Amino acid sequence: MSVTAVGETAVRLGGSPLFEDWHEVASDGVPVLALVAMLICTVVLVPASRSTSGMELLLLPAVPLVIAALSQMFVIVLGDIDLGTGYLVGLSNVVSARYLAADPMVAVGLFVVIVCAYMAVGAVIEVRKIPSIIVTLGASFIWLGFALVIFPIPGGTSPGWLTSVMNWSPPVVPAAVVFAVVLCVIGYVITDHTAYGTVMRGAGSNRLAVTRYGWSMLKVRVVCYGLAGIFGVLSGLTLTGMTSSGDANASANYTLLAIASVILGGGLFSGGRARATGTVIGAFAISLVAQLLVFFNVSSAYQAAAQGLILVAVLAGRALLGIGER
Amino acid sequence: MNATSVSKRGDKGRVPWVSLSAFVLRFPWVWVFIAVVAIWAAIVVISGRGFLGTMTAVVALAPFLVMVGIGQLFVITLGNGNIDLSVEYSMPLAGFVGISVMNGGGARIGLGILAAVGVGLVVAAANLFCILVLSIPPIVATLAVGLVTYSASSIQAQNFSALPNQELHSFTTSSVGGVAWLAIICVCLAVAAAGLLHRTSYGRALEAVGQSLRAARLAGVPVTRVTIMSYFICGVLAALSGLLLSTYISPSVVIGQPYLLNSIAVVVLGGSLITGGRSNIVGVWGGALFLLLLTTLLNVLHIATATQDIVKGGLIILVLALVQTDRIEGS
Repeated sequence: MSVTAVGETAVRLGGSPLFEDWHEVASDGVPVLALVAMLICTVVLVPASRSTSGMELLLLPAVPLVIAALSQMFVIVLGDIDLGTGYLVGLSNVVSARYLAADPMVAVGLFVVIVCAYMAVGAVIEVRKIPSIIVTLGASFIWLGFALVIFPIPGGTSPGWLTSVMNWSPPVVPAAVVFAVVLCVIGYVITDHTAYGTVMRGAGSNRLAVTRYGWSMLKVRVVCYGLAGIFGVLSGLTLTGMTSSGDANASANYTLLAIASVILGGGLFSGGRARATGTVIGAFAISLVAQLLVFFNVSSAYQAAAQGLILVAVLAGRALLGIGER
Repeated sequence: MNATSVSKRGDKGRVPWVSLSAFVLRFPWVWVFIAVVAIWAAIVVISGRGFLGTMTAVVALAPFLVMVGIGQLFVITLGNGNIDLSVEYSMPLAGFVGISVMNGGGARIGLGILAAVGVGLVVAAANLFCILVLSIPPIVATLAVGLVTYSASSIQAQNFSALPNQELHSFTTSSVGGVAWLAIICVCLAVAAAGLLHRTSYGRALEAVGQSLRAARLAGVPVTRVTIMSYFICGVLAALSGLLLSTYISPSVVIGQPYLLNSIAVVVLGGSLITGGRSNIVGVWGGALFLLLLTTLLNVLHIATATQDIVKGGLIILVLALVQTDRIEGS
C-alpha cells in the first residue's frame, strides 16, 4: 500500500518520469545503436577491417568530421545553424598546410584571426538579430574566398609533428578511439561541467530566463561561436595532418554531415541541448557510412544523394521514435 | 538599438531622419537603385565602356537571376526560417531534363518546358514532404533534397549528348532595341508576381504568415496551403531559369552554383525582410542589376573570383547588419 503511495508521489512529483526517461534514453541510445549497427556492417562487409590496423584505416578519416561536428554543436545548442562549418574547416586546412611548417607563427596568428572572425559572426547575429543561416552562409563565402586566395589549387604540406600525431598507432586500440574518448571528455566537460555550459544550454532553450538571470546573450553567443571557431580550426588541423595537403573544397560536405551528426547525437534544432558524447558517436557512425560508400565503389554521383538521405533518415527516425523537436 | 529602430510610425516628422526612415520603410528598394546608378557610373568611368553597352550586357544576364530571386522571395516571405537552398541543384537538373526532352527538335520545345516545370514541381514536393510531413526545418530539408537532386543531375550528366535546342537558344539571346526579350518577359513576370503578392488573398495570407505564424493561424489563414503554394512557385521559377540558363550557356551540373547565395542576396539587397512578412518585387530587379554590375566592376578591376566571393559574402552580411533592423513591430 505504502509502496504504491510512494510510487504515486514520485509520479506526481516528477511529472511523468517514464515518458521523460524514454526521451532521454532514446536520445542517448540512438547514436550508440547507429554506431554499433554501422560497425557490425563494416566488420561483416569489409573483411580487412577485422584487425586493429584495418579498423584504424576506416575510423581515422572520421576524426576531422567528429571535431567539425563538435564545432557545429556549439552553434546548434543556441538554436542557430552554421552553414559555414565545411569551408571554415577548409580554410583552417589550407592555412595550416600553407604556413604551419614554414611559418608557424603566421599560422597561429591566422588561426586567432579566424576564431575572432567567428566570434564577430556570433556578435553580428546577436546584435542585429539576423537569422544565423544567412550570416553564416554569407560568411562561408568569405572563408572559401580566403582559402582559394591562399591555395587556388590543392597544395602545401603538413609539419612532421602533426603528421606523426595523426599517424600515431597505439597498441591494442585504434588511435581514432583514443581521439574519440579525449574529444568526448573535452566536449562533455565544456557542456556539462562548467557553469558556462549550463548557460549555453539555457540560452538555447529559454533565452528570456537566461537574460533575466543577468547573463549577457551577446557574451553567450560570442563564446559559443568562438568555441565553434576553435573546433573548426582543430578539425582543419587534423585534416592537414591526415592528408598532408590543403584543399579549400575537400571538406565542403562537412557542413551537412556535421549537422546530421549533432542531430543524430541528440541535439535539437530548436537549441537547448548539447550532447558531446552523442555528437562524437554520431559523427563516427555517419563517417562510416561515407567510408563504406567509397569502399563499395559507389559512384561519386550517388554520394551526395546518400548524404542527403542520411540526414532525412536521421530526422525522420527521430520523429518516428517521438524524440523530435519539442 | 531601440533608439534607431523605426517602430514608432506614429510620431512621424519629429526628427528629420525618422521621416527618412519612414520613407525607406515605404520604399525599401530605393537604396539598391541608388547603388545601381553609382556602380554603373563607376564602371563607365573606370573601364571607358559605353554607358548603354554596360547596362545592355547586364540586362541580358539579369533575367536568370530575377526568376530565381522572385521564387526565393516567395519562400523567404513565409518567414519562420523558410528558405529554399535546393534551387542551386534543381536548376541544372531542370536544364538536363528539359534539354534532353527537347532533343527531337522544334515541336518538342513545349514538351521540354513542361518537363523542366515538372522537375521544379517534384523538387518542391520533396521539400514540402520533408518540411510539412517529417517536420524537418526548411534549411536542412531543402539542403538534403538539394543533395539528392544534385546526384540526379550528376547521373544525367554522364553520357549526356543532347544539344540545347537551337530555336530556344536564339530566343534567349534575341533582343529588341538592345533590350533582351527575356528581360522584357521578366519585367512582366515581376509585375505579375507583384500583383500576386500585393493584390491577391494568397499574397496577403503569405505576408501574414511571415509576420506572425501564430496570429495568422488564429485568424484562420490556411498556413499549409500558403506554404505549399510558395515552394511550388519557387520550384517552378528556379526550374525555368535553370532550363533557360542551360540553353543559353550549356548544360552543366554546376550551372546553379552562384544562384544559391545570389538568389538570397537579391531579396535582401532589394529591401525585403530576411525574416519574412514584408517583401517587394521591385527590389529583386534592383538587387539583380546591382549584383551583376558589381561582378562586372570586379572583373573590370581584374579581381579574382576567389576575392569576388569574399566581397559578395561580406557585402551580404554588411547589408543585413545595416538594413535588417527596420523590423515590423512585435515580430
